[in-house]
Amino acid sequence: MTTADALNPAPSAGVVAFLGNEAAYWRLRIKGAALLVFTLGLYRFWFATDVRRFLWSNTEIGGETLEYTGLATELLGGFLLALAILVPLYTAFAVAALEFSPRAAVSIVFGLMLLAFGAEFALYRARRYRLTRTVFRGVRFDQHGSAWRYALFALLWWAVVAVTLGLAYPWAQASLQRFKMRHTSYGDLAGSFAGSGFDLFLRGVAIWLVVVAPLLIALVTLGALVDWDSLNTAMMQGDQATLTRIENGPGFHRAIGIAVIALGAAAFAAILLYPLFQAVTLRWWISGLRFGAVEVTSRLGAAQVYRVYVRFILFIVLLALCALAAAAVSLFAVTVLVGPRHDSALAELLATAITVGLYVVIALGASTIHQVVVTLALWRLGAQSAELAGAAALDCVRATGAPSSALGEGLADALGVGGI
Amino acid sequence: MTNASPATEPLTPHGPAVYFDGTSSARNIVTIEAGAAGLKIMAANRHVLDEWCYAELRRQSAPDDMLRLGRSGETLLARLEVRDPALITAIEDRAVTLDRGGAAERRLRRKVVALSFAAGVSLFATAAFGVPALASRLIPFIPLSVEHKLGDAVDREIRASLDTQHLGTAFTCGNGLGEAAGRAALDKLVGELEAAAALPFALQVEVVRRAEPNAMALPGGRIYVNDGLIAQAQTPDELAGVLAHEIGHVARRDGTRTVLQTAGLSFLFGMMLGDFVGGGAVVIAARTVLKSSYSRSVETAADAYSVALMQKAGGDPHALGAILARIVSDREHGIKILLDHPETKDRIAAIDAVAVTGTTTPLLDADDWSALQQICSSQPAKGATTGAGQIK
Repeated sequence: MTTADALNPAPSAGVVAFLGNEAAYWRLRIKGAALLVFTLGLYRFWFATDVRRFLWSNTEIGGETLEYTGLATELLGGFLLALAILVPLYTAFAVAALEFSPRAAVSIVFGLMLLAFGAEFALYRARRYRLTRTVFRGVRFDQHGSAWRYALFALLWWAVVAVTLGLAYPWAQASLQRFKMRHTSYGDLAGSFAGSGFDLFLRGVAIWLVVVAPLLIALVTLGALVDWDSLNTAMMQGDQATLTRIENGPGFHRAIGIAVIALGAAAFAAILLYPLFQAVTLRWWISGLRFGAVEVTSRLGAAQVYRVYVRFILFIVLLALCALAAAAVSLFAVTVLVGPRHDSALAELLATAITVGLYVVIALGASTIHQVVVTLALWRLGAQSAELAGAAALDCVRATGAPSSALGEGLADALGVGGI
Repeated sequence: MTNASPATEPLTPHGPAVYFDGTSSARNIVTIEAGAAGLKIMAANRHVLDEWCYAELRRQSAPDDMLRLGRSGETLLARLEVRDPALITAIEDRAVTLDRGGAAERRLRRKVVALSFAAGVSLFATAAFGVPALASRLIPFIPLSVEHKLGDAVDREIRASLDTQHLGTAFTCGNGLGEAAGRAALDKLVGELEAAAALPFALQVEVVRRAEPNAMALPGGRIYVNDGLIAQAQTPDELAGVLAHEIGHVARRDGTRTVLQTAGLSFLFGMMLGDFVGGGAVVIAARTVLKSSYSRSVETAADAYSVALMQKAGGDPHALGAILARIVSDREHGIKILLDHPETKDRIAAIDAVAVTGTTTPLLDADDWSALQQICSSQPAKGATTGAGQIK
């Protein structure tokens, strides 16, 4: 190896690559999952930090890798801080529900809205924590902007998306990404987002039609062929005769049949098209990222994402077979151990313990497989498919900003909405 | 590792590196010298850009084949990236803070795992012993008005789920045609127990048109006795024993206790522990075991209260054991740690152990007792002998 090689492992400035090795990530994930069970989840702050260090330090942009400088103790501190805020809040809600029980429904709706708001707030602040802990070429990323405004903005957009049955999703995404990127910077290089909602709409509207159209057909059929008013009245009054008459009516069976077929078609289409949706949104998102004069483009193909999901299904089938085998072996072991003594209580206790244990192993196993086979693969594909134009601008960025608190991470953790 | 001038500096290892000064992203290709006290960072023209002591060097996360160095306690993020294996070895030899091979990091992690495990055990112990103890200490500070509100809320739920309106009869007995005498007898029995118990608030006992031999106490003093339980009672004192058990729940404010215990468990297991995929099952299992254990101790205490109250009222304290033996005999199975009440034979043994044995007069005379047995006579409950009771 010559000096020049050692210094310039990847000379082309616009190339993005992922250096991480999947076997190392499997080891990291499996060890972490085992320690999570052993510590009843308290290890998660150290686990998340290890995962981020791996992902960041193996992502290479123009020959230089990212660096994650966050500490597990910061995440733990953020979580404790979040508890200090949420515990009094939860207590206040419990007391309020007890005090004003007639209006409990109102307080539950209000509580859920507050939780949704808190979740969006936390996601924005958590993004800030991660960005300020991301160092590239000795300069950190930063995010400013009000998390309160973002949360309000996001809730309004999700309401619009729900009302339009998902049709407004592209514009919601474009708007929220613009908000995030406008408030993101790398040193003194300001970020922005160039993806347009209409563009994503054009790419995704076919997916939407194939999935949502059968749902609409089902709804319309049920609405037209079933006499809802008399069905409701009959149900309320427990009027068996009317119920029977409606059930035997000409439209009822046809309506139920059409609805079931339509729902099945929608679910099937959704599963089949999900990788395509992932590919379209990921490519659109990466291609919209801008830092000053630096423009990112992505050549991510749908076939690549489909390959990832086929591999995921194969791994899940393998896990299911292993779980079946383990269940059979433990069932046999319990029968042999307990059988002669006819101690049904002990057998039941063992069976319950084994069921809980197997459930934990299967759930953690499936999540680990998803993290390695899907999330890591998409991270890799996203990186490798990306290309930077105007990367020369990265050579003279001035450092700004300072690390932010981990409160957002803690809130996101306590509310169960954490990301990577 | 390259030796630019071996003749002048034969003993100082040096080699190429990439240097970022932390003020800008400019990539500086430098030569570093691993001297006696620290690293000397030199530009191509041998101009010294910076000098870093070994003690302040910190390893930063980096790809496997690279040593990335930063300085401790610095707000600027100056970085040195070394890829030359020989130079990496030379620097690691001199700077102990770099933790070659990660032994110190692994030690730290083992400590973290051990402490996290200990914290989990400690939280579990807190849930098993601390939460019930804390709930007992907190109950006196919760005003009775809160308990009444809680009782009203529970009552609404129960009436909504158990109501018998659609069968054309009232939910409670004692108000129908020919039931007034039964109501009077019930009031007499309750009055005797209430006088002995001397509670700070009034009891409200109702008989419910349901066949399972069961009874339940709500927070705030409401007690529902199923018609099926009266049918199973052979003496007024057996019914009184069950009523005294339920009065025990009311007097000891077990409804509020359960609310406090559940809140404590939710906090410990919902927020602190179990936050991982699949952790939900562990949390549910742990909560079930703990809640069953709380419930068992509450039932035992209510049995003891029943014995004491029956003795005070002049009734037969063993009668509770007798009716328990009849309605729950050999219907029990399941896992001991998952049962929400102690095993019946243990309950009867505990009752007999503390109850004074002697002759007592029944709390109601024969006329009153037969009137009480007719309290739901306007429509007798069907299938009174089926179903298992629990007396909770």
